[in-house]
Amino acid sequence: MGYFEKALFAAAVIGALSGLVGTLVLLRRRTFFAQALTHATFPGAVAAALLGVSIPLGAAVAAAVIVMIMTLLGRVRRQGSQVASGIMLTAGFALGVLLQALNPSLPVHVESYLVGSILTVTDGDVILAATVLGVAVLVAVLFGKEILFSTFDRTGFRAAGYREWPIELLTLVLITATVVTAMPAVGAILAIALIAAPAAAARLVVRTAAGIVVLAPLIGAGSGIIGVLLSRSLDVAAGPAIALTAAACFLLALGVRSLGARVRGVHAPGRAGLRLES
Amino acid sequence: MAEFFGPLVSAFALPFMARALVVLLALSLVAGIVGVLVNLRSLEFISDGLTHSVFPGIAIGFVWGGREGLFVGAMVAAILAAIVLTLITRRAVSGDAAIAIVFTAMFSIGILVVSRQTNYAGQLEQLLFGRLLTVTTAEVAQTLTICAIALLLVGLTLKQQVFRAFDRTALAAAGYRPLLLDLVLNIAIALVVVAASSAVGNLLVLAVLIVPGAVARLITVRLWLLFPLAAVFAALCAWVGLAVGYEASVTAGIDLPSGATVVLVLVAGYLLVLVGRLAVDRMRRPASAVPAAGAQPETVAT
Repeated sequence: MGYFEKALFAAAVIGALSGLVGTLVLLRRRTFFAQALTHATFPGAVAAALLGVSIPLGAAVAAAVIVMIMTLLGRVRRQGSQVASGIMLTAGFALGVLLQALNPSLPVHVESYLVGSILTVTDGDVILAATVLGVAVLVAVLFGKEILFSTFDRTGFRAAGYREWPIELLTLVLITATVVTAMPAVGAILAIALIAAPAAAARLVVRTAAGIVVLAPLIGAGSGIIGVLLSRSLDVAAGPAIALTAAACFLLALGVRSLGARVRGVHAPGRAGLRLES
Repeated sequence: MAEFFGPLVSAFALPFMARALVVLLALSLVAGIVGVLVNLRSLEFISDGLTHSVFPGIAIGFVWGGREGLFVGAMVAAILAAIVLTLITRRAVSGDAAIAIVFTAMFSIGILVVSRQTNYAGQLEQLLFGRLLTVTTAEVAQTLTICAIALLLVGLTLKQQVFRAFDRTALAAAGYRPLLLDLVLNIAIALVVVAASSAVGNLLVLAVLIVPGAVARLITVRLWLLFPLAAVFAALCAWVGLAVGYEASVTAGIDLPSGATVVLVLVAGYLLVLVGRLAVDRMRRPASAVPAAGAQPETVAT
């Protein structure tokens, strides 16, 4: 497999994974949390490079610590999850910058960290992403019903005798794993674009939660592939091309929905007539 | 005593350290007013989005007009982003996903523009981390002016902004326009981001907007005390942070990035206050079973 085919494949896998987990992020309103994670894992990546261990491992350890601190901070009176995310985002990023400035020879750079370089993904990155995708699909199949129940009706979920923390933990682990596996290949900013845009676009055009779960990964994978192809034909950086393709999908979905609403609004009697004839 | 406090004063006899301190003190004042509102309204994510959205303006401005164009471009992009974000969080399907899509798209456009330039990396790094210690006098004046405009915008509507944070429905019923207030606040945040982005960088601006407000909320439940407390905390941390960075480079020979140092001092201060708050709460609980009711705005859906 050449580097370009590998990039295409990686973009498709990461896009599908981000789309699937992005549905969770969107429905549970954890976008800022995901954004904070992408920035706050930076010191983990730098420290891993410093110690000579694998960078995704360092980022994963940092992410686990950060999620724990954020959960604790979110429970303090008058602080809340937004404050916790904001503080961890700036603190983590500043710590990463400091670590990097003290060791300028490290191969971890801020630019590639933010933008990523999908053309240089390793086999390990792709296998890791594919594994996480498999786990995410498995979780969606096995626990999809419970996750949706707790997302849409927390009180009802508790009243039905379920416990909430296993589901919360499961979703946090999935979101964290997605962010950590997607970032070395595609960068922090792009990871957020791929998590937010496909799910939001799917939500605009499909009415059921199951529909969103199916459509969002497809949009994500499609954005990844189209973005990489566009980056080659237009000779621009791959990361931004993918992010912009995902944003374009969202705009398209917005257009389709408002068009649909208009058509239905104006021609509602006509459609009723058609239906009578058939 | 003198040898401990000496560096806190003597470092700022150097003109470049004094300029950095002036810029940060102006930002502290901003943190005291705009930052507290960001906290009360839970606008942390929008603030983060705005810092990223300014980037294409800076990139296009730089390509188009060099160093002067940079500032105009940033201003245009910031105000445009503030308007789009205000409208989109009000109307769009799900607020925070929409914010994420807008800022990642704008940031991507910036990267595309800059990636065609040769000094790509330098531009991005400067935007993120600023050049706190090489700020010129003209830039100080520029920063002060824009911060003053932002403060004026928020100061004139402060009472309504606080009303908006606590009870949006009552505000609308009382005949105020929530959309207009949101727009004013978001534009003020955008102005602060622009004013500071060339001097101190996006990372530090975001920390200044988020951390002092959160600290003030930890210290007091009295609403009007939040504003001075946040400003004083930010100013103290800026002062200590700059002095620490200076000491480290002069005496220990460690070259600390000044912006990141100030951010970490801010966060360390936050942790200190947090631990203190939790300890005080624990000691007080047996004495008074009823928790003090205080400044506790409803969670505002943005």
